[in-house]
Amino acid sequence: MLKPNTLAAASVLALTAATFSQASAAELNAVATFSIIGDFAEKVGGDRLDLTTLVGRNGDAHVYAPKPADARALAAADVVLTNGFGLEGFLDRLIAASGTEAAIVRLTDGIEPREEAGGGHYHFVDGEAIFHAGGVNAHAWQSVANAKIYVSNIRDAFCEADPEGCETYAANAGDYLAELTALDTKVRTAVEALPKDSRTVVVGHDAFGYFEGEYGIRFLSPQGISTEAEASAADVAGLIWQMQEARTAAVFAENIADSRLVEQIASEAGTELAGTLYSDALSEPDGPASDYLSMMHHNLRLITSALSSD
Amino acid sequence: MLRSIASTTALALILSGHALAEETTHDDHESVTLYRVFVGDHADPKITAFDLDKPDNRWTFETKGQSKLYGVGEGAAVVAVQSDGDQVNFIDSGISLQSHGDHSDIDIEEPEALGETLTGPRPFHLIDHAGKVVINFDRGGYAEIVDAHDLSEGEVETVRMPQARAHHGYVAPIGTGWVTSVASDAPVEGDKAPERVGLQPVAADGTPTGEVETCTAIHGEAFSGAYLATGCKEGILTVKAGSNGPEFAMLEYPSDLPAGETTGTLIGSKSMQVFLGNYGAKGLVVVDPVDEPHFRYVELPFRRIDFALDPANARFGYVLTEDGTLHKLDVLKTEVTDSAKVTEPYSMDGDWNDPRPRLAMAGDEIAMSDPKAGLVRRIAKETLEETGTIEVGGMPYNIAVVGGSGMVHEGEGHDHSGHDHSAHAHSHGDPQIYKGYFEDSQIKDRPLADYAGDWQSVYPYLQDGTLDPVWEHKAEAGEMTAEEYKDYYTTGYRTDVERITIEGDTVTFYRDGKPLTAQYSYDGYEILTYEKGNRGVRFIFEKGEGDAEAPQFLQFADHGIFPAKASHYHLYWGDDRAKLLEELTNWPTYYPSSLKPDEIVSEMLAH
Repeated sequence: MLKPNTLAAASVLALTAATFSQASAAELNAVATFSIIGDFAEKVGGDRLDLTTLVGRNGDAHVYAPKPADARALAAADVVLTNGFGLEGFLDRLIAASGTEAAIVRLTDGIEPREEAGGGHYHFVDGEAIFHAGGVNAHAWQSVANAKIYVSNIRDAFCEADPEGCETYAANAGDYLAELTALDTKVRTAVEALPKDSRTVVVGHDAFGYFEGEYGIRFLSPQGISTEAEASAADVAGLIWQMQEARTAAVFAENIADSRLVEQIASEAGTELAGTLYSDALSEPDGPASDYLSMMHHNLRLITSALSSD
Repeated sequence: MLRSIASTTALALILSGHALAEETTHDDHESVTLYRVFVGDHADPKITAFDLDKPDNRWTFETKGQSKLYGVGEGAAVVAVQSDGDQVNFIDSGISLQSHGDHSDIDIEEPEALGETLTGPRPFHLIDHAGKVVINFDRGGYAEIVDAHDLSEGEVETVRMPQARAHHGYVAPIGTGWVTSVASDAPVEGDKAPERVGLQPVAADGTPTGEVETCTAIHGEAFSGAYLATGCKEGILTVKAGSNGPEFAMLEYPSDLPAGETTGTLIGSKSMQVFLGNYGAKGLVVVDPVDEPHFRYVELPFRRIDFALDPANARFGYVLTEDGTLHKLDVLKTEVTDSAKVTEPYSMDGDWNDPRPRLAMAGDEIAMSDPKAGLVRRIAKETLEETGTIEVGGMPYNIAVVGGSGMVHEGEGHDHSGHDHSAHAHSHGDPQIYKGYFEDSQIKDRPLADYAGDWQSVYPYLQDGTLDPVWEHKAEAGEMTAEEYKDYYTTGYRTDVERITIEGDTVTFYRDGKPLTAQYSYDGYEILTYEKGNRGVRFIFEKGEGDAEAPQFLQFADHGIFPAKASHYHLYWGDDRAKLLEELTNWPTYYPSSLKPDEIVSEMLAH
């Protein structure tokens, strides 16, 4: 019987030194899992914050492959801000790999989850359909009322991790919450101004359930399609029938999704795409959705102009 | 009194695997962890399989030659590539894991060799990626592509991709296209293998769709995250899918690495986008395809025999060196954090294919073959301590482990256990719900109107042989013979109520043409958890006014859990609501009376 015998690890040369904690002037080191949460965190954290955002602009958190640098960022963090509701499928394993002792904060705490229609939804990546199963719709930030809960949760998490900065965080959050309240009112007013029978649009994947629940715009999206090739005539025809029922011709692409399917739908419905909605990620800084406020303004503008112009 | 005809015959659909597995309670499901080890002998053409925790559960598979083993399709199948035997065998591992977002389900049966094999000149590298299993035939000048999903259903259908010249290489799917390694067209002497020069994008029929990307002496390949990485003389070539075909990037070996060495073996992490490769005989490189530095180097004290990455915790890899020491490698820090002697020394002098240990991860353990000792050793990954040995005999060599943890599902009387085609179903909504996996919150009350219509029993069609093609079809994919399926469904379908009409709240049963009528009102639903772990919902209706002989309770089961028109249903009826819930073997089944017998057959075949 062999006895395990520990060999001195000193005999092993490590040529490259690992850099686990980078010196930082900031008071609080946080990781946000994706760009929209990252924007909230910056608004609340201000100058005190050193932020790493894992899934960047125009990136899709559902299908993200985390990198070693992400694990290192987690290891160095004081706070990790996550969405929860099953959005970040990669996160548990990344946390395990990082060995981080940071507080893991779920920003959807306090938000009533919406069920995912059809038990999940599809993402199109490099021409392949990936079914994201999950009983809960993860895209809670699409309701501004929920965004305010995210922001309050971030404020509380930052105060906990960095009590000295709490006053700053509370003041920043207060300012931002006021902007969100104004945005919420603006969305309600704009939707209210639309004809009651003209409040239906079509998107490729159902990321707007919370927007629908909060503001009463109905989002149709194709269901039961497991690959693009299988977006059968019947599936598309069914959707077009629904579009006719709802008398809508407003079909949108999304920034994180392949637009081929919605292009096909628009073409079969005899219309053209009405623009690109930002659902799961911000645009580049010079784009139309450089932060959450501009993203929501952009989406609202596209939706209302598509629905009121016909 | 109208009764369904109960039967005492119950066929056990599912074999005993899980009864032997470790069980813990999780809600009302049953969580099971099971790892199944497949070991190829070095000298004899055979594979031994056993369950890690219960090695007495043991099976032997004959092969033609020595096998290199690969668990593919999330471990649903094991492929035995016999380079010297010019043959590839496929084994249904008996374990299937299906991820449902927040948890996985595990289905456990006996492993079974598939009848079909591939034969051809020197099969070698195997790639399992994006639903494709691709085996390169080094002396055939082609690769055979098998669909991983078909394989998990026991089907071996291949598509052949020709290569310009036969060579020791590989073919891999990248996005919507493919890449193949490419051999030089310079002539060679005798049967000497040609030089390998690079990697080329090709279409599924082997037609080049782009230029050859230089990768001299290309060898070793792995996928991680969005990338394929492959070893070259110049460095490591990475490939990822772009909008206009594959995008290549050559990561050259940096100057601070020892000169004159290269990477020829790579493995990719499953939970982080990172690769582990050799660098010469004693060096290892952690390769980050995106961030710099792309290479982080570790030198081992002795030459490396084998290495593995932990799929559960991307931080750690494990490396065995020729002195018989196992090292735990911290991939993020790029340093060895622990080492322990786990076997006798095995010199790396001699042929690459001499019998030496091989490593495979199995949950919290490492399973290591030990050919000289005739054992598989179990080593705790945390402490590197041996926790046990399993006597295999002969010279256990190449090793593959499949399995994991999941919720067990055990059969409703119904054969939805196997790999039916509902994974791609369009007709009955969520395939997971159809199979019986759903959350309580998804269930909604249903009206009798969901079952309205004129319905016929399918039992007469079973009796007269009309449904025989259905049993044949089930037998092809399932674990019973057509005859056994027929017996099983005979018990299930048996009834003397040949027709049922449902209109408003009125249900009429016809037995020998004589009607029995009563009104029924909704009485809630009951969730049944079958032994197999999947669940079903019965929607229950209680009798109000009507014929005295009409049953007090009706319980509908139609695989749906919220309001939707039923396309067929199973109906249980009787006067004892609770007792009726225990009826699992006899489920009279009704299809619309408007359907002709052949239409019912095609409906059933579609499931």
